[in-house]
Amino acid sequence: MTVAPRPSLFRVDKDGLAADGLSRSFGPEQAVVDVDLVVPPGEIHAVIGLNGAGKTTLMRLLLGMLRPDRGSAQVLGCEVKDADGKVWRRVGHMIEAPFGYPELTVVDNLQAAARLHGLSRPAARAATERQVEQLQLAHWAHRRCRALSAGNLQRLGLGCALINEPMVLVLDEPTNSLDPFGVVLIRQLLQQAARQGAAILMSSHHLDEIARTARHLHVMHGGRMVGNLDPHGVDLERAFFELILSVDQAQQESSR
Amino acid sequence: MMAPAVGIEWLKLRRSRLSLITLILVALGCPALTAGFMAAAAQGPADTSLAIKINAMLVGEGWTAYLGMLTQILSVTALVGAGVVVSWSFGREFSDHSLGSLFALPTSRAEIAGAKFVVLIGWTMALSGLALIAAIAFAPVAGLHMPIDAAAGSIVKVVLVGLTGGLLAFPLAFVATAARGPLPAVACLILIVVVTQVITVVGLGGWFPYAVISLWSGMGGATVAAQITPPQLLLVPLTGAIGCVATIGWWRHMQVV
Repeated sequence: MTVAPRPSLFRVDKDGLAADGLSRSFGPEQAVVDVDLVVPPGEIHAVIGLNGAGKTTLMRLLLGMLRPDRGSAQVLGCEVKDADGKVWRRVGHMIEAPFGYPELTVVDNLQAAARLHGLSRPAARAATERQVEQLQLAHWAHRRCRALSAGNLQRLGLGCALINEPMVLVLDEPTNSLDPFGVVLIRQLLQQAARQGAAILMSSHHLDEIARTARHLHVMHGGRMVGNLDPHGVDLERAFFELILSVDQAQQESSR
Repeated sequence: MMAPAVGIEWLKLRRSRLSLITLILVALGCPALTAGFMAAAAQGPADTSLAIKINAMLVGEGWTAYLGMLTQILSVTALVGAGVVVSWSFGREFSDHSLGSLFALPTSRAEIAGAKFVVLIGWTMALSGLALIAAIAFAPVAGLHMPIDAAAGSIVKVVLVGLTGGLLAFPLAFVATAARGPLPAVACLILIVVVTQVITVVGLGGWFPYAVISLWSGMGGATVAAQITPPQLLLVPLTGAIGCVATIGWWRHMQVV
């Protein structure tokens, strides 16, 4: 007996980001289960879920930081496992900890990120100046990162993720530790990047904020994509918990 | 794409307090200790336990004895110093959870790991050069003055022993990587020093890469030093190369777990 191949989500938007039946376990723990996702160019998608829902693991799989047990991921039309420097040159990300070596200054770190992204020395300098201005880090530009507040370190990390003007951007809780001004600043930067054609995937626990930034909200629970929410809905928090609760109840009933 | 990674790793190493303090402690501390020991042995009574121990480490006289003793001390301390720096360099991204930043880049992780090794070789060269300069500066304490009245081989040996300390520390990069942090590698370094003592005592040091350099530098006496053969010395670069290749291979295929 042969199994009919599942219709691939790929090639729908080959310049964006896609997951096709992506699964990954850690021992008995199923962290990501059969996740399908397409983030086309020019759109901001958000993954929301409780702690341990699998959001960070999904992002790691999409960036090749983890190898999937099943399924595959594509970035800019290329299988992640086959992606080379030409693909990664156009990708930016910030997962878990911001890029920021404590012994280096803000400018040093931005230039380091730019050089690692393949920018020439002059281009790295120009990109660094641009990010310092854009993220309003001029006051701390020559300060070592160990002296930065968590919020400014987060801004630096976002500057490093944006340094190469990426066409695919993956950000894990980008507004963590930011003050309200920083949150608005990041929202504007992400919306600007999307207008320029970037495919953006982000995660957050701040439902109100993410509803203002993202166009599509995907809810993850227990490693699975369990539904979508309307970012313009009336009571997003209520809708989120109702969805989570209905999934839990359905699972309980099926396990009886 | 390796050149930018080398530049960044060099900047990180230059700005690191750990790397700077270790460099100063080893490169200045060893010659200072050597000069102090020689002065103590020369000026005090010859039958004290300190004088007896120091005199056992001295081969020849004057600059030859001074540089020879420095080589012996450096053969252990260069390994310890380089071991700490190598462990930090390869383990830091694991312990501060920033390893993910080194993925999904046009600069591959194998290139980044290679760049770390390149700058660590540079660090050990700086260590050797600085130790030699410091030895000249501290020589008057031991009653020695310019010009250096010793065979060129004595000077070359100081530099080589400093460099081999770096090479022998390379396998610790693999430990820091596989164990995902610098502390297991430091623990392994301590274990290596202890095991080296035991292996040397039982007489197998000539074929143990972590002991052969100390024996070659005269720690087991002039007779043992003269018996060390080139194949035994080749174990040192071989150990470094194995550590280097294994670590780069691991970095190429590793995941953020």
